[in-house]
Amino acid sequence: MVEYLIRRLGLMVPTALLVTMGVFALIHLTPGDPATVILAESYTPEAAAAIDRDLGLDKPLPQQYLLYMGRLLHGDLGHSVRNKLPVTQAIGERLPATIELGIAALLWSLLVAIPLGTLAALRRGRALDFVASGLTVAGISVPNFVLGILLILFFGLLLRVLPVGGFAALTDSVPDNLSRLVMPAIALGTFGAATNMRFTRSSMIEVLNQDYIRTARAKGAGWWRVVNRHALKNALIPVVTIVGLQVGAILEGALVTETVFSWPGVGKLAVESIFSKDFPVVQGIVLMAALAFMFANLLVDLVYAWLDPRISYS
Amino acid sequence: MRRAGVLIAVALLLSACGGGGGGTTSGTSNGTPKMGGTLKVSQETEINGLDPNTSGLVVEREIYYNLYDSLLGIDAKLNFVPELATSWKFTDDKTLVLTLRKDVKFQDGTDFNADAVKFNLDRYMTSTDPAAARKSDLASVQSVAVQDPATVVLHLKRADATLLATLVDRAGMMLSPTAVRTLGTKLPTAPEGAGSGPFQFVEWKRDDHLTLKKNPNYWRKDKAGRQLPYLDQVIYRPITDLNATLAALKTGDVDMARVVAGKDVASVKADSTLVYKDTPSLGYGGFVLNHSVPPFNDPAKAKAVALAVDRAQILKNVGFGIGVVSTGPITSASWAFDSSEKIYDKPDPDKAKSTATGFSFTLKTANTQDSIQTGQLIQAQLAKAGITVNLLPEEFGKLTLETRVQHQFEASLQGWSGRIDPDGNMYAFWHTGGSFNDGLYSNPQVDQLLEQGRATTDQAKRKQIYQDAQKIIVGDAAYVFTTNPAVPQITNKKVQGFTLIPDGINRLAEVWKS
Repeated sequence: MVEYLIRRLGLMVPTALLVTMGVFALIHLTPGDPATVILAESYTPEAAAAIDRDLGLDKPLPQQYLLYMGRLLHGDLGHSVRNKLPVTQAIGERLPATIELGIAALLWSLLVAIPLGTLAALRRGRALDFVASGLTVAGISVPNFVLGILLILFFGLLLRVLPVGGFAALTDSVPDNLSRLVMPAIALGTFGAATNMRFTRSSMIEVLNQDYIRTARAKGAGWWRVVNRHALKNALIPVVTIVGLQVGAILEGALVTETVFSWPGVGKLAVESIFSKDFPVVQGIVLMAALAFMFANLLVDLVYAWLDPRISYS
Repeated sequence: MRRAGVLIAVALLLSACGGGGGGTTSGTSNGTPKMGGTLKVSQETEINGLDPNTSGLVVEREIYYNLYDSLLGIDAKLNFVPELATSWKFTDDKTLVLTLRKDVKFQDGTDFNADAVKFNLDRYMTSTDPAAARKSDLASVQSVAVQDPATVVLHLKRADATLLATLVDRAGMMLSPTAVRTLGTKLPTAPEGAGSGPFQFVEWKRDDHLTLKKNPNYWRKDKAGRQLPYLDQVIYRPITDLNATLAALKTGDVDMARVVAGKDVASVKADSTLVYKDTPSLGYGGFVLNHSVPPFNDPAKAKAVALAVDRAQILKNVGFGIGVVSTGPITSASWAFDSSEKIYDKPDPDKAKSTATGFSFTLKTANTQDSIQTGQLIQAQLAKAGITVNLLPEEFGKLTLETRVQHQFEASLQGWSGRIDPDGNMYAFWHTGGSFNDGLYSNPQVDQLLEQGRATTDQAKRKQIYQDAQKIIVGDAAYVFTTNPAVPQITNKKVQGFTLIPDGINRLAEVWKS
């Protein structure tokens, strides 16, 4: 197990390196330059040249990359072009909001998906199954920003039961924080909920047809006990795989959801940084997201072993 | 103002500054102002920082004007009014004497005086920060001398009538020298005690909110002798999504917004809980023609394009009718406005055809919906005069680079947010070698008039000079003016007493909530 962990962690290094290269190349391929954006209404060619010098943009691209990697090895992700904040600080300030939103979205997706998916499998071909399948199609088809706007319209404007956006720190007010969390978490988590529900349903159907389920039933075990103790744990293995991949989808969805709900997280920071050509921040965020994705999937692999003792990593 | 300006996309002007034509210029006040309360203001983007020295965003100015005081102020008609300077006088072409207010202290207790003015102006002029933006604003100033604690003398390198307008904006904003020295690198993020304005800095949580609280020692009082400001607190919230802005306004999550999407203006006007107001802005939209390359090195072809464009159609279809058709760089908000100037008021494809036809050119636009739609309208309009337009939408940064720096374009859709002094809307754009003369337009007569405008201090004479220059610029189609957007303001019914100023900045000292 330890050996496996070390091997997996070791593999992350070249992957992260490739990510830095890819992001660096992509960001420098995008048109436009930071000086234009920074200077905005005060642009002069001289001032732009000074900014390029200051940011090292006047150097050849490979040299810029080596300098960036040199700093990265010392834990320095550079400084924001926009407001000169260290990138680690800029991301660090926003991370708690995104983690909170991400966890809430993931919880929403699982709390909806597992019970509904299980019920749909148990009531296969009946009304509940059709309703659940319909909801799944809707959840997968509606983009999170559209769902976000619909939620704002319905709960924010029409019913006026939830605030339409913004953020309140948990330390300031728990009810205020939670009331502002509900809609973005639903908007962000619904796609995952729908996907997870489909997987739970099909996986559950497959497991329920297995011999050992029939054996358990024949031995007189009740339905609830069979489903809960024998079927669900095995049916969840493919769902766990999907949840690991969903960490990526949640990070991606946070870009739009946080913007729609003015949620001051890393996603909103990424969008603003892209628009203002704040490339050190964009690089930092992509690197962080890539690492988060890799760790989430490592965690998933480890959870497999817990769910299914036949899986061994030694 | 002599500031080297920058371009912004017509799309931004139209969508970001969308407002209705012919609106009111001042807010209503129902009864006696009520003291106290918190005003929540939505901003369309997050700010970068709070130091006027490195500021380039309009949303930053919105906060600065409530945090810092400038040497001079302006009223709704753009007349200069006393602020930290009680009077000002050009004793000769190159000497400006400012008499300062004596009863002002910065929020950290430091006295405001001539030494503070010298400190601030010297700081702006000698800043080594690569993002320093005030240096070019104050390029005409040779030196600043302290005559006595309440008198400061600006010695100029050359005559510069636009300097007064410069001192209204960020280059004239005064910060406490003590605070600037002690805060150091913290100044752009937490300028505690640095201002002398109606509100003082409390906290800034980036991307979430920025809070200002009442400055209890503010030097201004209202007409009835009550201490200003009325409000206890102002909270700015960056809401980048315009749908979310509108929702926040409707639910009372914010009290005030400067921007809603053009498409939403009608519904805002129809909403009985909201108040929509606007006033003509100082900015303009349109497209620049490159006069140094074919086809527009032929003046007839440039004129044919200007003749064939249907400005009213663009205003109606893209701008939702908010604003007015543009007749030139001097808008109706300016003291130099010329209501008789209507060279290309109505489209005339027949006259265009007889001037020049059968040629084609590429029009570069930003890759935003509004810009592309504007381009498509122009394409269809010019087709009627036998002129073929190839549209090339580009990322805004690339478009700006190719237009402004490399001059690699035939026509480029670019707008301007506008400046208080007509010089700021003209000199950099159409003086030979001007820093924003993207189309490389050159006309000795225009150069002479624009120089004259800078060297003349008499406003009546300046008005004539700029109107003469405008006639030539518009006539030559140095730039094809299409629309003048309006400066809007959307509030809920509780917000009282604000005055809309054509520079689009809300001064909140006299705003209150009922």
